[in-house]
Amino acid sequence: MSALPEASSQAPQGRSMVLSLRNVGVRYGRRRHLFSQHQSEFWALRDVTLDLFSGETLGVIGRNGAGKTTLLKVLAGILRPDTGSYVNNGYRATLLSLQVGFVGYLSGRENAILSGLLLGMHRREIERKMDAIISFSGLEDFIDEPIQTYSSGMKARLGFSTAFQVDPDILLVDEVMGVGDAEFTEKSKAVMREKIRSDKTVVLVSHNTDVIRSLADRMVWIEKGGTVAQGGPDEVLEAYAQSQRRKSH
Amino acid sequence: MEFTAINSIRPLGWIRFWSLILYKTYSELRAESERTYIGYAWWGIEPILSMGVYFVVFKWILDRGTENYATFLIIGLVPWRWLSTSLQHGANAILSARSLMQQVYLPKLVLPIVSLLTDTFKFLVILVLLLVFLLFSSFPIGPYYLALPFVLAIQALLVGGLTFILAGAVPFLPDLRMVLENVVRLWLFLSGVFYPLEALPERLWIYFRMNPMLTIINSYRDILMYGRWPDFQALSVIAAGSLLLLAIGVALIHHNDYRYPKLQV
Repeated sequence: MSALPEASSQAPQGRSMVLSLRNVGVRYGRRRHLFSQHQSEFWALRDVTLDLFSGETLGVIGRNGAGKTTLLKVLAGILRPDTGSYVNNGYRATLLSLQVGFVGYLSGRENAILSGLLLGMHRREIERKMDAIISFSGLEDFIDEPIQTYSSGMKARLGFSTAFQVDPDILLVDEVMGVGDAEFTEKSKAVMREKIRSDKTVVLVSHNTDVIRSLADRMVWIEKGGTVAQGGPDEVLEAYAQSQRRKSH
Repeated sequence: MEFTAINSIRPLGWIRFWSLILYKTYSELRAESERTYIGYAWWGIEPILSMGVYFVVFKWILDRGTENYATFLIIGLVPWRWLSTSLQHGANAILSARSLMQQVYLPKLVLPIVSLLTDTFKFLVILVLLLVFLLFSSFPIGPYYLALPFVLAIQALLVGGLTFILAGAVPFLPDLRMVLENVVRLWLFLSGVFYPLEALPERLWIYFRMNPMLTIINSYRDILMYGRWPDFQALSVIAAGSLLLLAIGVALIHHNDYRYPKLQV
């Protein structure tokens, strides 16, 4: 486990750095009202330092409200840090967002195109992958029906099947959760795990330590918006578990 | 501590930027038509109904004596609707996409462009209906029609500039929406939609002529009704001013691209 906040652990063998954060902070300003004295700002991240190397799966662990989701938004380019430095060597990072931009009145096919465009795919690429989306979702002829006629399970299946086709340089995942009915849950979990285990560069957030232990090559632990530790999964998880125990005593 | 970024996020690229805009516009139009029983037909019927209300009030109740009052009124109201619907929808364009911009990076400029294109498309439907109506009435169709694309383009710049500025400012100051509707209504009554400028005392003309919508609406009437060329000099001044507004609007939204997702309501 490396000391912080200097650089993190060395690059794993033969892997190049795709992005790095140094002492990154993100501030949210609360809206002020003219007739109230209440004005506050809130630092969702205070001091996060981490490196991401090509082909690895970096697990991020921490309690609720530690800043995990904000960190993913920074990596996805949705938020820009207010302090610190952020270096991305030209890679596109996309947050795996399900059902993004879905419109109830449009057909499943149209929603897949809209969602795919929002997630960074080109129109042609989506058309090319449409058969895969339809077959994985199991929607068959329903694909041309408006999605407001879908059950929530069908919508979830379409959402996952579309997002799963997105192939960014860096995949950002907020909890590997199965979606839809029991059968689809297993199927979607299985393909997600397969994708994460592959040579893809992935940042994976979870509070489930078992999930993270089985998938991550390296881990970062963040607490109150700052990096506490990073390194191999076993060491970081051990330290995390100890602190959890201390907290509960 | 300063924030520095090197080789930051790869931009969208023009193809993806515009294919997203066009598909989103298509889906807005499509969704809107699906919301009602007769769908697309409302794009023609709703404006006719709303213009009918003004016609009843001003022609029959207030009895304005202007010649060909129906045509006079319609030619004023059609371009006016383009402006007013674009402003009302544009004001909410960025504000209402809060949850979307938390899930994916999206150049915020996409949002008001989509809302503007949606309203522009609906305006063009009405414009075609208006031109068909004029074809069957006794107004002259002459070389003056060649000026129509210029007037349309200049109004597009004006509408676009104001829409972008509103869309960009409202997330910081949502209160603007509370006054917008009334400001737009006041502007309507000052734009010579219901009466010709000549019906007002001459000493007021100079002030009324400062209103770009008055000049634009009169240009449409010159071309479509009176068979004469519009006032190109006044139109060029409006074009220059509108370009400036457009540049301000684009710069405002672009400059705050990363601040919008952080605003909390």
